[in-house]
Amino acid sequence: MEEPYEAFLQEYLGGEFRVFNAQLPCEPITLSKLLLEQHPGIVCKDGSRYLIKKKELEYLASLLTADEQSLFFLPVLIEIVPGQDEMAVISRGRIEEKVISEILGMPVVSRKARIKIYRPQLALIRKVLRTATQYIFSPRSIGESTSL
Amino acid sequence: MAKQLLKLRPTKIELIRLRRRLRLAERIQKIIKDRLSILVMEFLQVARETVEAKKKSLADFGEAYKALSVASGYHGTIALEKELVATEREIGIIAGLRNIAGVRIPSLELTGEEETLPAYSIADTSAWVDRSQEQFNQCLKSIVELAEKQSNLEIMGREINRTKRIVNALEYTIIPSLKNTISFLEMKFEERDREEKSRLKRVKVLLEQR
Repeated sequence: MEEPYEAFLQEYLGGEFRVFNAQLPCEPITLSKLLLEQHPGIVCKDGSRYLIKKKELEYLASLLTADEQSLFFLPVLIEIVPGQDEMAVISRGRIEEKVISEILGMPVVSRKARIKIYRPQLALIRKVLRTATQYIFSPRSIGESTSL
Repeated sequence: MAKQLLKLRPTKIELIRLRRRLRLAERIQKIIKDRLSILVMEFLQVARETVEAKKKSLADFGEAYKALSVASGYHGTIALEKELVATEREIGIIAGLRNIAGVRIPSLELTGEEETLPAYSIADTSAWVDRSQEQFNQCLKSIVELAEKQSNLEIMGREINRTKRIVNALEYTIIPSLKNTISFLEMKFEERDREEKSRLKRVKVLLEQR
C-alpha cells in the first residue's frame, strides 16, 4: 500500500463525479424551443444527445403560459449532495416554483436559487418528469452558490 | 473474526497517510451510498412501470387479435389476406441514451405515429379491419414502451449489484482494515512512548547511583 493507492482513491472520487455529471447539458434550452423540435433533445457535456419525451413537454406546456414557456429552461436539475437527506431543485425563478408546486400539490419556495425537496417528493417529481429532469451530484452543501 | 491489518512500516508518516486514506474512503462510501439509494428508487419506479407496461401490452395484443379474428371471420381469411397484402409499412424508432446517476440506459420513441390513410381499400372492407388496424398500432406503441422499460430494468439491476459490491467492499473490508491499522499503529506508538519513558527513568536511576 504505497502512494499510488491514495492517487487511485482520489482519481476514483473524481471519476465518480465525472460519471454522475456526464449527462449535464452543454446549454439549457427553453421549453418553447423544445416544443418546436421534431425530436426534442439536448446536447450533453459528454457530446451525447439526451432525448426528452414529448409527452412530458406537453404536460409542462399545459402548466405554463406562452411567456412562461419561453423562460422555462430544460432539463430541470436536481442537486444531490452526498450524505444529506434533502435534495434541491435548481430554480431560476418563479416558473420553476410554479411547476414543482403543481407536481407536488403543495406550495414551495426557492431560497438561494434552490427548492429543497425530500426523497418521497423526489420520487413524485421523477415519476412525472422522468426525462425532463436530471440529477447533478455536487460536492458542496445545499445552499452554497454553484456556478453551472 | 480476526482483525484485518494492513502490512506497512509502523511510522508516523504512515499513520498520517492512513488517516488521509480513511477520510477519502469514507467520502467515497457516502457518495456511492447516495448513488445506490437513488438507483434503487429509480429501479423500483421502473419495475412498477414495467409491470404496468407488460399488463397493457398483453391487454392490447388480446384486443388486437380478437378484432383481427372477427374481421377474418367477416371477410374470410383469403379475402382479408388479399386486402392486407400491401399494408406493410416501415416504422421508425428514435433511440437515444439517458444517464441516470451514472448509468446509461436506452430511450426509445416510436416515430411516424401520425394518422395515415390505410393501404387497403376502405370501400371493400368493413369497420372491423379498421378497428384491428387501430388495435395493432396501439400494440406497436406498447411493445416499444415495454422494450424500453425492460431494458432499463435489466441495466439498472446490474448496476445496483455492482454498486452494492463496491459499498460492501468499502463498508466491510477497506474501511475496517484502515481503522484497525490506525488503532494498531496508535497503540504501537503509545507503547513506544511508555518504553521510552521507562528507559529514561531507568537511566536516571543508574546515573543517580553513580
